[in-house]
Parts: sequence; structure tokens; C-alpha cells
Amino acid sequence: MKHTHSFASTRRTFLKTVGGGAAAVALGGLSMPALAQDKSLTIIFNGNNENQVAALRKTIADFEAATGSTVTLNLMDHEAHKTAIRNYLVAGAPDVCFWFSGNRMKAFVDRGLFDDISDLVAEQNYAEVLGGTLGATMVGDKVYGLPLAGTLWGNFYLKNVFEEKGLVAPTTWEETLAYGEAAKSAGMAPLAFGSKELWPCAGFFDELNLRINGLENHIALMDGQMSYLDPMLQPVFDHWEELINADFFLENHTSYGWQEAGALLSQRKAGMMNLGNFVKYAVPEADIPHLTFIPFPKIADIPRFEDFSTDSIHIPSNAKNKALAREFLAMFYEPENLHAFLAPAGNVPPRNDMPPSDDPLVNAAVESLKTVAGTAQYYDRDTDPDMAQAGLNGFQEFMVHPDRREQILTRLDETRKRIFGVS
Amino acid sequence: MPNFWRQHRGWIAPTLFIMPAVVLFGVVIVASSVQSLWISLHDWDGMSPMHWVGLGNYQELFRDPQFFTSLKNNCIWLVVFMLAPPLGLGIALLVNQQIRGMRLVKSLFFIPLVLASVAVGVVFTWVYTPGFGLLALVFSAFGATAPALLSDENLVTFAVVFAALWPQVAFCMVLYLAGLNSLSDDLIGAGQVDGARGLNMLFHVVLPQLTQVTFIAIAITAIGALRSFDMVSVMTQGGPFGSSSVLAYQMYEQSIFSYRFGYGAAIASVLFAIMLVFIVWYLSRIMRADDRGA
Repeated sequence: MKHTHSFASTRRTFLKTVGGGAAAVALGGLSMPALAQDKSLTIIFNGNNENQVAALRKTIADFEAATGSTVTLNLMDHEAHKTAIRNYLVAGAPDVCFWFSGNRMKAFVDRGLFDDISDLVAEQNYAEVLGGTLGATMVGDKVYGLPLAGTLWGNFYLKNVFEEKGLVAPTTWEETLAYGEAAKSAGMAPLAFGSKELWPCAGFFDELNLRINGLENHIALMDGQMSYLDPMLQPVFDHWEELINADFFLENHTSYGWQEAGALLSQRKAGMMNLGNFVKYAVPEADIPHLTFIPFPKIADIPRFEDFSTDSIHIPSNAKNKALAREFLAMFYEPENLHAFLAPAGNVPPRNDMPPSDDPLVNAAVESLKTVAGTAQYYDRDTDPDMAQAGLNGFQEFMVHPDRREQILTRLDETRKRIFGVS
Repeated sequence: MPNFWRQHRGWIAPTLFIMPAVVLFGVVIVASSVQSLWISLHDWDGMSPMHWVGLGNYQELFRDPQFFTSLKNNCIWLVVFMLAPPLGLGIALLVNQQIRGMRLVKSLFFIPLVLASVAVGVVFTWVYTPGFGLLALVFSAFGATAPALLSDENLVTFAVVFAALWPQVAFCMVLYLAGLNSLSDDLIGAGQVDGARGLNMLFHVVLPQLTQVTFIAIAITAIGALRSFDMVSVMTQGGPFGSSSVLAYQMYEQSIFSYRFGYGAAIASVLFAIMLVFIVWYLSRIMRADDRGA
């Protein structure tokens, strides 16, 4: 089945057709009546946000009307999906599914489980509207998915609380140490930090490593080419230890999840939190207008690199109806449809031609990204999943027992050697 | 045909009746156990072709400090869980008294058994939350600061076991209550005639009649301790930094998050070997009891 339908020619005309409502239904129905039985599509979505699901359902309804196809949408719990995807990609793949970009995607690409959609990207000229964001879903020079919302990492805080307590958000290391003292004398933990789910520790490692050693070295470490015992990493842990010893982090942070820690911001028990903008889910409605962020403070004199983790939408290699899946992706990726889908989650949109968001945090992140020289995904998305699991545990242990640094790094390097097969 | 049936029904009928159970047990338990053993000899990520490594996974296992942490925690679980049968017996003796309102007390003790263990885990996590958990409030009422149990690598396993012990005690209590109801009145009457009272009565007349129940309670508690997974998963996810992990959780973590099914299967095999000790003990006791009965 080829792109016989009229919409493939130009995106804009198609959009108008859909906008035409009933007319479009008639048109879609008339143009391809005979093929109706072949046009079924299965989509698996892993989001828990009701409004996102509603937006997705609307796009699906429009798609069904326009193409005369039947679409089955299967909703899956976010955490359960992480394990289920490995089964369904091999046995019984849907036509479209959602996943994480970067190394998490590459793990499946290496095993030939995601379809190369470079043709769709070329046809729709996505490179133009996506720019560097497209790199998140590329392996080599081929594209294996379309990037969706991105989450920019930074230090989040409440403006009103900072004014109230006379605190200043730090931009350099010296200011950071001074801020810590000021926050502590105001009776607050300088950094709200919950490490029960482990991954926040890795985010903090990323920030320090990106600020001290830069993106290239960070990626070399993620790819297993750099040793965890490399002397370059020592300053990262020196800085980290400095903050740990200065009681920057919430006491007993291993008992708290990020949401419990995030709640301390508006309770005025903690000052800043290093996270993505989803920290807003832990902040009460009334305080959200005050929520803002500042990039992690500068340490070494190098350009600014950030964690910018991206989710993406993919076509599995074992999909039954790849051509129709491409048609769906093209429609789903229309600026308006994509906006409707992404807006409820409040993340940075991938396309540069999308309507501006009404969420100031998103707009601030978009602005901030313009001064970023390069982005990584996130520790557990950039490195091998097995390595990530060991790393997350190691970083948490370091945050509780900084004196075990040597031991932890030696262990991590043994794990690295095993996984990446280097010596 | 009727002749054939008459000649063979002696074995056909029982075979037919046993067949469903045998097939189900064979597929779900035996075949998958054998397959697990087979996988444990391979390097496998769950998707790609398996790669034979022989005993490589086991060799790595015995060099892995996390494995010994998990093993140690399983031992802690096993030892602390053994409190459940005596506690259950104590409570059962208590609520078995014919006192007004005892039914209510009995049902209160019964409640944790009705709760899903995940719910118990979540509730105890809240109790342990430093700062504003129930435990912290109790401590602060006495002017003390509660330890952050789930953050302390030395205490965390005990905190989790304690939470799991609650429903386990209730379970043992139910077993003993059932046992107490089937005590022989003749024997108790005879004991009374001979002047046995109080502890003498308990140790020499009542408890000997409860041996079978005790034996079931211990076996089930031991296996429950070894397969503990849900509470760890809900309360700590093995943390902080793996210090509360148990073999079952480590197996899950390695297979699902680290994509190492071979290694996970090796852990499962070791766990199976440990459980086998208890299972063999249990079965041999059962068979001996059967022989005596026959």
C-alpha cells in the first residue's frame, strides 16, 4: 500500500481537509473504499496523562475519518510498558509505539526492532523543522523515530520563596556555596533531593560532569570508552563531595521519592531542586506561577551543555502496516496535532514551527535552549541500561558514603569493562 | 469397546483425572524451572539469540558483592520470620479464650491477612517516613528523633521484615486457631484429671497435638521469607544502594532493568536450590506422616 492518499502531497492541504470536518469524512471515505479492510492500525501508548490520551484519541478519530482506517489504541501503564515493550517488539508488535530516544532507542535499533523511517523524514522534510533535535532519534545517519517532548534539566525554585527568604539563585560555584550557607541559615535544605528512585542522583552527576568535562567526554564515558577511574572524573566527585559535606542535600534523601522532596519547595523546607520541569507536579497549584528555573551553575570555562531528554514515537520493524503507520505519524506530527498532544504534559516541543505554549516554564526552557551548545539525554538513557543500573546505585551510595568513592568507582569500572567488552 | 474399558478402567480413569494437574504442573512449574536452569547457562538479554557461557554466570555471581548482600538479607528474613509461628500461637491462644468481645479482637488480628501485601508495604513506608511519619511522631512525643529506617543500610532490612511479619503472624494465628479447634477433648479431659494445668497443660497436652500445624506454619513461613519480593519492591526497591535487596528482587532487577536474563536466571537457580532444602524437608515430613497413617 503506497501513499495513494492526497494528503501525502502537501501537508497543508491535508490539514485543511481535516479541518473541513464532515466534508473530509466523505472525501476520505470516497477515495479509498475498497481498501478499508486492509487499513487497520494498532498503537500502544504509555502515558498516564488523561489530557494527552484525549488529544491522541482526537488525532486518531481524525485519522480514521480521513483514511477510512480502523485504529486500535492500547493504553499501557508507564512503568509496565518499560518491560512489556521488549516482549511485544519481538512477538506481536503494534504499528506505532512510544519510547525514549537516545540509547534506550538504540538498544532496540541494534537488535533490528525499530523501523528505519528516514524516508518519511525526507519526504516530510522534518530535518528543517527539527534541527538538532532530530539527532535524538538517529543512529548513524538513519532516523528511527520522531522526537516528541523534551525535558530540559535545571535548578528549579519558587521566586516568591526566594524573595521572602532573601535568597539568590546561584550561577557560579562560589555563588552556589554562598547560596547554600544562606539557605541553611534560613532553615532550609539548599537542595530538595529525593534519591529513593535512584535516577535523580544520576541527573546530578550529569550536571557536574557536563559542567566540568563537557559533552564530548561525558558521551565518551556513557559509551564506555572512558574509564570511571579516569582522573578527569575526580573533580566531578570532589565538587559533589564538597556539597555533600556542606549538607546541601536533604537529610535522609534515600527515604524520599522526588515527589515528596519536590513538595518541600513550597513548604519552604528546601530551596532549589535539580530536575526537569515535571517538578511542577509536586508543587501546589497556587505556587506554580512562581516556579522558575536557572541553569545549573557554571564550573569550568566551557560552553553550556545540558541534559535534554526526549521521548519519541516509533514504528516497530515487525509492524504489520508500516505504510499506514507512516501516514499516521505524518498526521500526528502536524504542528497543531502535536501541540494538542504535548501541551498537557508541559514539555519542550521538538518542532520549531509549533504554536507558542501558554506555559511560561516551557517558553523559558525554549529560550534557555537557544544558549545551549549541546545536549545529552540523561545518564540512564545515554549509557547501556545495565551500566545505568550499576551507576545509579553507585551514585546513591556515594551520596551517602562519599568516603567510599574509590571502591564505588572501581566497581563501576569493572561493570563498564564487562558490559562494553573493553579492558 | 466395553470390554476394553472394563479391562483398562483401573488405570484410565485415574490417569484422566490426574492429567490436567500433571500437564499444568509440568508446563508451569517443571518445564519453566528446567528452562530457567538452561537460561542461567547463557548470556541472554531477553531478545537476541542466547550465547552459551557455561557456568560463567555462577562464577560472576560468587564474585558479586551485591549477591552476598542479598543472600545475607535473605538470611535475616528467614531468621526474623521465624518469630511468626510462636507469635501467631501466642495470639491464637489469647483470642481462643471464651471472653465477651473476643470475636472483635480476633477479627482485628485477622485484618492484615486481608490486606494486599503491597498495601501493607505502602502503609509501613508512610509509618517510617522520617520527619512526619507515624514513627517519627511517636519518637518526637518522647522528645527523640526517629531513625530514618529506610535510609539506614543496616536497619533497612529489619524495617522491611517487620512490616512483612505483621501479615505473616496473622497467617500463623489462623493456622493455630484452626488447630486449636480440632484439639481432642478426651486428651484435655484426661490431662485435667491428671492435674495438668497452665503451662504444663500447654506444653505436654496442647502443643503435641499441634505439631502438624507447627510444621506447616514453619515450612510456609520459611518459603515466604525466601520468596520475599513484593515488600522490598514497594518499600525500598532494594535501596539504599542495594542494601535491602533480596535474591528474588535482585533477580528481577538484573533481568528487567539490566537486561541480563542469564544472570537473573542464575540467581533464581541459587534461590531455588536454597528453597529446595526446605521443600525436601517438608516433603519428607509429609511422606513420613503418610507412612505412619497407612
